[in-house]
Amino acid sequence: MSFREALESGKFLITAEVGPPKGTDVAEMLHHLQLLKGRVDAVNATDNQSAVMRMSSTAVCKLALEHGLEPILQMTCRDRNRIALQSDLLGAWVLGIRNVLCMTGDHVLAGDHKEAKPVYDVESVQLLQIVGALNEGHDMNGNALQGAPQFLPGAVVTPEAEPLEPQLIKFEKKVRAGARFFQTQAIYDIEKFKRFMDFARKFPVKVLAGFVILKSAGMANFLNKNVPGIKVPQALVDELKAAGKEGALQKGMEIAARHMRQLKEEGICDGVHIMAIGMEDKVPQIIEMAGL
Amino acid sequence: MIITKSKDFQELMDNIKGYRSFFLLGCSECATLCGTGGQEQLQEMKQALEQQGKEVTGTFVAKTGCQVLGTKVELKPFKEALERTDCILVLSCGAGTQTAVELYQDKPVYPVNDSLFLGNMTRLQMFDERCSLCGHCILDKTGGICPITACPKGILNGPCGGCKDGHCEVSPDIPCAWVRIYERMKRLHKLEEFCQMTLQAKDWSAAQKPRSLYARKERKKE
Repeated sequence: MSFREALESGKFLITAEVGPPKGTDVAEMLHHLQLLKGRVDAVNATDNQSAVMRMSSTAVCKLALEHGLEPILQMTCRDRNRIALQSDLLGAWVLGIRNVLCMTGDHVLAGDHKEAKPVYDVESVQLLQIVGALNEGHDMNGNALQGAPQFLPGAVVTPEAEPLEPQLIKFEKKVRAGARFFQTQAIYDIEKFKRFMDFARKFPVKVLAGFVILKSAGMANFLNKNVPGIKVPQALVDELKAAGKEGALQKGMEIAARHMRQLKEEGICDGVHIMAIGMEDKVPQIIEMAGL
Repeated sequence: MIITKSKDFQELMDNIKGYRSFFLLGCSECATLCGTGGQEQLQEMKQALEQQGKEVTGTFVAKTGCQVLGTKVELKPFKEALERTDCILVLSCGAGTQTAVELYQDKPVYPVNDSLFLGNMTRLQMFDERCSLCGHCILDKTGGICPITACPKGILNGPCGGCKDGHCEVSPDIPCAWVRIYERMKRLHKLEEFCQMTLQAKDWSAAQKPRSLYARKERKKE
């Protein structure tokens, strides 16, 4: 079943992220893809995440296809102008890539090439419009295409952003611009997430809740302090602390699995999106623990 | 106004090491307000050069250094000092420097300042960038706050995921432009408009360099 079919079928979706390598050695990444094969509905290939230069996400999507996984191409507006974005999208389609996650992209100052000139010729909402235009058989300026793609466009949202309302307004703009599914920033507070879903449910889109596995109380505190839109409640930090140094990772996996199970059982959202960030080998186990 | 900052003195000395005599040209407008090209800075530069064993043949603060014809007329009394100098040093913005380049085609002209941005002065010699001179103003749609300038990504349809407690992912010192726009639209009872509006990809052709404008001719056309 393709990701689009899975999305339309109403089944509880599972997606996971793989980070392209910095370099040409893809052995470790291929191992991660093998671990995910048959366990997820699609795999996201990140696009120079955190503005750190890595292998192209399109190349990783192609490798995923060759290894029997359906890819979601993450595409940011940081490094390409509107000509390059459209050109790369057309290229991605003929390589067999069917899903594209449209993002603005972390600023170059977050990454390892701080001297770079950031592009941002367009941004996430406009990139969704561009995908819509290509799907309709013309470029963003209305020039006809010889052969058109049929991408499934997706977007991101931060359900625990502070302040929240401007983000919700942007969510709505992304829906109007054609987003069919959303993968969220990592969430840790199910009650708060439910309130976000009360809003999101008004729109005909699927929402996959984002997960970043907590390895320790220290990591939770770090995320709270440094990562916009991530808020780990104190109760979870305490739970991790109580598990001790040895047991913290296991506890973090348990917390994630518990939350995933609750989301599925209570029908709170339409699926989960796991951003393993270095813990790709634990993903199959978490999916199993959650009973997904 | 155009915000300028003096170059590192050593960098300047390296640039002009082949010359012995200098004419110093300042500007009474932006550079004076920035403290980089007024009477005071010209005197300081004169002293600093003389300490290095250089000669200063003359100094002058132009009324408006970017105005080519006006500056040409103003500099007429300095003909002798300008003929005698090896080199002209300009203490204003890059536009003022290029006025001198145009007027004195046989003399080397060197910038003393780096030109930074179009700024608003918020306190004495404290400047903020608020306009990027993009060529097609959208302040009418954004509550009078320019996201092209105030947002490091220049994005047009609301805050990105990097907004943290109303501040920018680039620096906690930068308030999120889109949170500011949202709050202002709310205060003006225009939130509905803010929600409904999707700004299309910007037409950057109006910012295509080099730009020129003949305002009189433009007006005659109308």
